[in-house]
Amino acid sequence: MRRAATLVLAAAVVAAPWLVAAVVPRQQRYVLHVLIFTALVAALALSYDLVVGHVGSLSLAHPAFFGVGAYAAAILATRAHWPFLAGLLAAALAAALVAALVGVPLFRLTEHAFAVGTLGLALVAGIVANNWVEVTRGPLCITGIPKPVLGLPGGPMVAITTLPGYYWLALAALAAVALLYRRLTTFRLGRAFHAVRDNEPLAGAAGIDPLRYRMLAFTIGAALAGGVGALYVHYLSVMCPEEMTVALTVNLLVIVFLGGVGTLRGVLVGAILFTALPEILRLAPTWRLVIYGALLLLVVVRSPEGIDSLLRRATGARPAR
Amino acid sequence: MALLEIRGLVKRFLGVTAVDQVDLAVEPGELVSLIGPNGSGKTTLFNCVTGYLAADGGRVLFRGRDLTNVAPHRVARLGVARTFQQVSVFPRLSALENLLVFLQQHQEEHLLARLLRTRRLRRLEAEAVERARRLLDLVGLTDKADAGAGSLSYGQRKLLAFAAALMPDPDLLLLDEPAAAVNPTMINQLKDHILALHRQGKTVLLVEHNMEVVMDISQRVVVLDHGQKIAEGSPEAIRRDSRVIEAYFGR
Repeated sequence: MRRAATLVLAAAVVAAPWLVAAVVPRQQRYVLHVLIFTALVAALALSYDLVVGHVGSLSLAHPAFFGVGAYAAAILATRAHWPFLAGLLAAALAAALVAALVGVPLFRLTEHAFAVGTLGLALVAGIVANNWVEVTRGPLCITGIPKPVLGLPGGPMVAITTLPGYYWLALAALAAVALLYRRLTTFRLGRAFHAVRDNEPLAGAAGIDPLRYRMLAFTIGAALAGGVGALYVHYLSVMCPEEMTVALTVNLLVIVFLGGVGTLRGVLVGAILFTALPEILRLAPTWRLVIYGALLLLVVVRSPEGIDSLLRRATGARPAR
Repeated sequence: MALLEIRGLVKRFLGVTAVDQVDLAVEPGELVSLIGPNGSGKTTLFNCVTGYLAADGGRVLFRGRDLTNVAPHRVARLGVARTFQQVSVFPRLSALENLLVFLQQHQEEHLLARLLRTRRLRRLEAEAVERARRLLDLVGLTDKADAGAGSLSYGQRKLLAFAAALMPDPDLLLLDEPAAAVNPTMINQLKDHILALHRQGKTVLLVEHNMEVVMDISQRVVVLDHGQKIAEGSPEAIRRDSRVIEAYFGR
């Protein structure tokens, strides 16, 4: 029964472009745009939750990694004419490299100082994006980023030019991130992450190097954020400094904590509500943000652990770990 | 050669010398207790041995290998297990997972192997689950295997932490007040467990305030007072030692 429901849901998600065309033909482009955005935000939120939810480090640096990846992909595509996949890989690696470099000193800081330190990194990254005009073009933005072309040199090439095509690309990226997220947060790796999160001294006694596992989550989270940044700029074809402000951190925090920190389903639900709900509420434009805010408050009051714990209680399932 | 050898260990906190030139050797297979009034430096000594505190002087040798200022996770992987005075479990992991996490780091840690869950790793995991279930049986937590460790009672968590320390089959076991705030029935169980380990040839260093436990099971007792070793000997000898009586009851 549950399996069947999951299959129907998965089929509906994959077939969304056709469903949208059938149900709301006049708003097809707009709805697809929201869906693409949702998939990318969900992937970004999952990469963020690896750090916040699973090793319990409140990093505020995620916009920096997203931005490094986005700019790396934008610059490589427009100036060096790198193919899409090579740029995507370089974006992920660039973000991971930054995380690996700043992570070691940052993780020397205790909890709150770590949060402030990562906030500093995010702010510095934003300032660099705005002012290093020779490279980022600053507030003029990098424009004309080509649509992605999939394929390896010598093989067949598929240009992603349509909205449905881009939707499937974003969906595939989300699926890949979700799969990696699952692999990282269960079994032995997940257990080691959770041990570090829940009791660091005891984790040491269990033979776990807390720094190693924190760095692992931080770096992989950054790499994935960089990759999402690359997908994002190739979709929008523009990259501006405003895309990587602290507002992005706030959005990610709302998604992760609203949905259910440290849970795959929770973060996905959070991302969907966060991106789709404000759009749906456009039906009542005047009260839109008021209703949205009230709904957020309601969730926080009724279920401080997030929507996932509501769902779990509803289905009578055992707490996820 | 002693399994654990502490030579002239010194630890100071802002001018207070918590551990003052302590020498201590534990032979393989020995069961030694470390006692002393509150604040005499027993836990500080444990923390220096297991890498939680950096020593200000002296050396700690384990199998002749220098442990001074080695990180806790490295000390653990060398075969030194410890428990904590405060009940220490991973509250959001199940009881079974609490045990599993204590063994896995002694095995394959390669990221790719863990991501791909290689056949070898899955076999090791199956063996680990088996061992964990045996240890849960041993401490009487069989039916709590899947319960969140945070939902266990104080005594149960203490037993779980004890079982977790045994998971990697350590060569040296440092127990920090295992009997504190545990009810008398459980204390007797715990005594039996420690004696059973001793019979299996394990080396145990015990910090304990419960004199009944200490006197019943120890082969040798070491007494600390104000960070200094003031006496060392068999339980009977320690019971009669005037310096020890003075340290505990005053002149």
